[in-house]
Amino acid sequence: MATVVDITVEVCGMAGDGAIAAGALINEALSRGGFSVLGFDSYPAEIRGFGRCVTRSRIGSEEIVAMGAETHVLISLNEAEARSRIPFLAHRAMVIFESNPPTYVHHDSSFVAELPPDKLLFGMPLSDLASEATGATRGRNLTALGGFAAVCGINPALFIEVIEKKFKSKGEKVLHTNVKSFEAGYAYAAKEYSEKREHAFQFPELLRQDGKVMLSGNQAIGMAALDAGLKLYFGYPITPATPIMEFLAAALPKKGGRVVQMEDEIASIGAVLGSFYAGARSMTATSGPGFALMTELITHGVMAEIPAVIVNAQRGGPATGLPTKTEQSDLHAAVFGGPGDSARIVIAPTNVSECYHYTVKSFQLAEKYQTPVIVLTDFYLDNRVENVVIPRASEAETRNGNVFPPASEKGNYKRYCLTESGISPRALPGMEGYIFTATGLEHTEKGLPDYSPEVHTLMTEKRHKKIASALADLPEPEVYFGDDRLDVGVIGWGSTFGSVLEATRTSRKKGLRVAALKITSLSPLHTTIIQGFMERCSHVLVPELNYEGQLANLIGHLHHRPVVRLNLVTGTPFPPSMIIQKIEDLIHGEAA
Amino acid sequence: MKTPGHVLAQRIRDIGESGAFRPRSDALPTWCPGCGYFGIHQALNQCLSRLELPLHNVVVVSGIGCAGRYPFFSHTYGLHTVHGRTLPVATGVKLANPDLTVFAIGGDGDGLAIGGGHFPHVARRNIDINYLLFDNSIYGLTKGQPSPSSRTGTITKASPAGTFEKPLNATLLALTYEASFVARLFAGDPNGIAAALIEGVKTPGFAFFHIYTSCVTFDKTFKTWAHLKEWVHPLPDDYDPTNRRNAFEMALEDDFSTGIIYRRD
Amino acid sequence: MARERCVIIGNGPAANAAAAALRQETSDLDIMLIGEESFPHYRPHLLPAYVAGSLQKEDLFVTPASFYEECDIRIRLGQRVTHVKFDQRELVLSHKEIVPFDALIIACGGMQRIPERLQIFEELMLTLKTPADAQKWRAGLQTAETILILGGDLTSLSFAKALVSTGKRVQFILQEQSFWPLPLTPTLADEVKQRLTRSGVEVLEASRVHRLTQLSQDVIEVETDVGLMTANLVGAFYGLAPNVKFLVRSGLDVERGVLVDENLRTRFDLVYAAGDCAQIYHPALRDYWVSIGYKNALEQGKVAAQNLAGGMTTVAASPANIFCVEGVMVNTSWWMEF
Repeated sequence: MATVVDITVEVCGMAGDGAIAAGALINEALSRGGFSVLGFDSYPAEIRGFGRCVTRSRIGSEEIVAMGAETHVLISLNEAEARSRIPFLAHRAMVIFESNPPTYVHHDSSFVAELPPDKLLFGMPLSDLASEATGATRGRNLTALGGFAAVCGINPALFIEVIEKKFKSKGEKVLHTNVKSFEAGYAYAAKEYSEKREHAFQFPELLRQDGKVMLSGNQAIGMAALDAGLKLYFGYPITPATPIMEFLAAALPKKGGRVVQMEDEIASIGAVLGSFYAGARSMTATSGPGFALMTELITHGVMAEIPAVIVNAQRGGPATGLPTKTEQSDLHAAVFGGPGDSARIVIAPTNVSECYHYTVKSFQLAEKYQTPVIVLTDFYLDNRVENVVIPRASEAETRNGNVFPPASEKGNYKRYCLTESGISPRALPGMEGYIFTATGLEHTEKGLPDYSPEVHTLMTEKRHKKIASALADLPEPEVYFGDDRLDVGVIGWGSTFGSVLEATRTSRKKGLRVAALKITSLSPLHTTIIQGFMERCSHVLVPELNYEGQLANLIGHLHHRPVVRLNLVTGTPFPPSMIIQKIEDLIHGEAA
Repeated sequence: MKTPGHVLAQRIRDIGESGAFRPRSDALPTWCPGCGYFGIHQALNQCLSRLELPLHNVVVVSGIGCAGRYPFFSHTYGLHTVHGRTLPVATGVKLANPDLTVFAIGGDGDGLAIGGGHFPHVARRNIDINYLLFDNSIYGLTKGQPSPSSRTGTITKASPAGTFEKPLNATLLALTYEASFVARLFAGDPNGIAAALIEGVKTPGFAFFHIYTSCVTFDKTFKTWAHLKEWVHPLPDDYDPTNRRNAFEMALEDDFSTGIIYRRD
Repeated sequence: MARERCVIIGNGPAANAAAAALRQETSDLDIMLIGEESFPHYRPHLLPAYVAGSLQKEDLFVTPASFYEECDIRIRLGQRVTHVKFDQRELVLSHKEIVPFDALIIACGGMQRIPERLQIFEELMLTLKTPADAQKWRAGLQTAETILILGGDLTSLSFAKALVSTGKRVQFILQEQSFWPLPLTPTLADEVKQRLTRSGVEVLEASRVHRLTQLSQDVIEVETDVGLMTANLVGAFYGLAPNVKFLVRSGLDVERGVLVDENLRTRFDLVYAAGDCAQIYHPALRDYWVSIGYKNALEQGKVAAQNLAGGMTTVAASPANIFCVEGVMVNTSWWMEF
């Protein structure tokens, strides 16, 4: 029977130790080795990058959908920093560390001293090995990887391949040095720990998969925009959305497009609206504080019926909040932010693949429904990497969604004419015979300002009807696992859904009657489907990374009793164990 | 002596056939009688006609304020956006479709107060749009508050003791912001405006038109038509608009000289 | 206010007995066990039975992890002391960690000894000191038919008996200086040979081993003073040497082991030694004796702890039980049992 793999590997070091590079290589190597890989690093928050870097990679023989709470292998490149990771070590976790540090360490500040006795210690003279092999200690992070591969029985070829791939562009000498550093560590550990490693977890050999890449949420969004024919990107730097702008700044010009860094977020959304008004696909990406600045213009897009695509990469809030922490607390702002009854489209991907496909689709949705479309992600989803097949967009996903007016309307064009669906055909500047003015004032069908009760009522209804009609084009909530009657139904959105899914799977393995519902279209909501799911549940549990229970607020009224809220604002991904515990508490009759 | 009716009628027919009225929309302007915006409107229409620009290739982007209403009265595509954001929106329009001729229109509040942060950047990016700033040194639509170009000591309901701030000089700002084309004009001289517009539209890059005008309803003491007619005078004949240093001096020393202040070589 | 600290070097019977006894004496002491092996505390004398298959692995390990937690004893496994600085009252671990101590009990036991001229063949021989060694024996026994035991220390004697019970052919070459620390006098040799033969072990005529060669994966050829022979597995049982090399330059009196008085005290204040690594002074004999064996280790660990805590217990050892051979005094319970 095949060994089930579910191992979390961490590399911990100071900035400059090569921890991030090492973590990336682990992801790539094990992805090639046929495993499912989910990685999420934490970086130093401060400007110059001083401080602790921790890479976390969860590696599985089955699909991994959430980060694990415990660490099974800790590779320490800096023992002083690695001490902070000790509380997270699993029972009998393996620890690789420097066994010959440059100076003596007093017991009170010793990393090794703090390790509980059940941990498996694999000390290696990393600096010595690296410098013997290459003349410098810089490659010691790769030496540590060599040790990891040897101790855990991973085919070294996998690592050497990804090292070659990563450093090929840096020249023969650098490549050679790096491979040598890795091999030195591998040889040492294979010999020194030939017996002891039998107690360490041995990775089985799976079927290779070469067709997958490690992709982050941000990268997926950038790629999606490119593939959707993005012409213009307007943005302002803000964590965690900046990488999208930087990715496109390099890639978009090659496709004839342009990235313009604007002076602020208001200018960014203004330019996006101007661009779509003139018929070109454009996009901006921001986070909570920037999004707040955009809300007036977003409602302008709603009122004047102009498309826009806005990515809100949520982070800890409110205000400047916690720039490098993850949170899901902009849901209210995204759905309701801005003056007036300004319903717009809000979609929230739950994984990297959805980041790609939803972003692609958002342009078409924006064009068809002539409204801003907000793609809600969060720091965790934006920065985590999953190994996925390179996503591609179909013609159907990328085709233009504009509904143009017929020739018969020429000379008598009513930009905001009332229709069955609420969608009024839209002319673009340059089209002869359809001249009109788009306005943020309430207006008649022809677009002239009008504040009368009849016009405002009709037009408000029209705009809302239009958004409701988008339900047909938006991803429906998806139920995971069956059963007619459920003791607990767990509803998740955004990156928390992964944790919900894992918690549900685990609970079901224990025989509990639990199912999960994934909601990705947050506005408009598929209330019928959601309610149908809730009706089958004794308890409805809504875990979210926000304090006020923002999704629970949106859908709670659909259930005949109050939904059970599970709220966390730790700034880190939702642990499945907490959801599992709550499910069990509910089933065994604890207070909700 | 009154002009005979049939003569007037013929004149109107001539003007109509000349196409000067083409750019006007069906909607009647909502500006007060005597508002300087009528003159600017006339000038811009002249410019569009003379340049023979197909009207469906023209986009007027406007903000909030009396000036913001402009696109409704113009038979071109229009985008009436929120207060102060005319310039970035116009940027988006132009970059999306460079074949369009894009005008950004707003008042001194739209451009120098809430929108003040966008002005430097559209200029330094040299986006090929034409920005008309209707400067009447007052907030008319909201009924008479001071604006960033109101002189110190301006008394309004919002500033009963008189404003304490120094006024901003939009022409000077445009020069500082590296605009490629800067003209200072007077709404009482539509022909002059039209001439400058034609030049500016033809110039590639960011063209700025600082247009003095009077708010007959809310400013009856300072920038009245009487005062403006007295103060405004054309630039000297030998003035060299390609000399940037002179342009700065002209902007600093002489607030009311009109014409093309600066044009990048 | 930080507690004072007693470090116990070792994780065998003596070390664990000392730790437990010490904790019984006082809760006002930080107790830290530092063991070089990664295995938890196991009973070395049970290894032969485990190899033979008559004992489960779980039964080897005596002390559950919870014991240390409950008794508030810090246990550190897989970490080696490289040297001790008695004047600074610090010891240093191989990963360059400095551990200050107020009191020290040295109970680091012994290491399998391979005679110098056979060290070159180390790779071809198996020893039996740790559970890891036992694993190798068990793996080898799955296919082996003939086992050759070289040497003749106490472990080898009980091990040979245990192997016989598995039905394998067990051959023995009893050698001089193998019954360390006792040299094999003819009388002792005869006695051992008789007992072995009675147990079903084939004691060979050979008395010296010259060379070992790996003929194939499962066959090792051995050249002795009598001739050539082959076996599937070869075991080296030349006794344990106290594991005290790291103390040689520390200022402690070290001969074959750490020299201590009858109260197990070394020349340094609050520093004790107990178990296989100690050489204990017997006032009646006016000489030092080396102890071997599980029961001795347990007892000495307890005594060291008690004395550290303020007692004055002496290690019980009746002179009759101590063999004096070639200038070395030995007390062993195994010998009596065997």
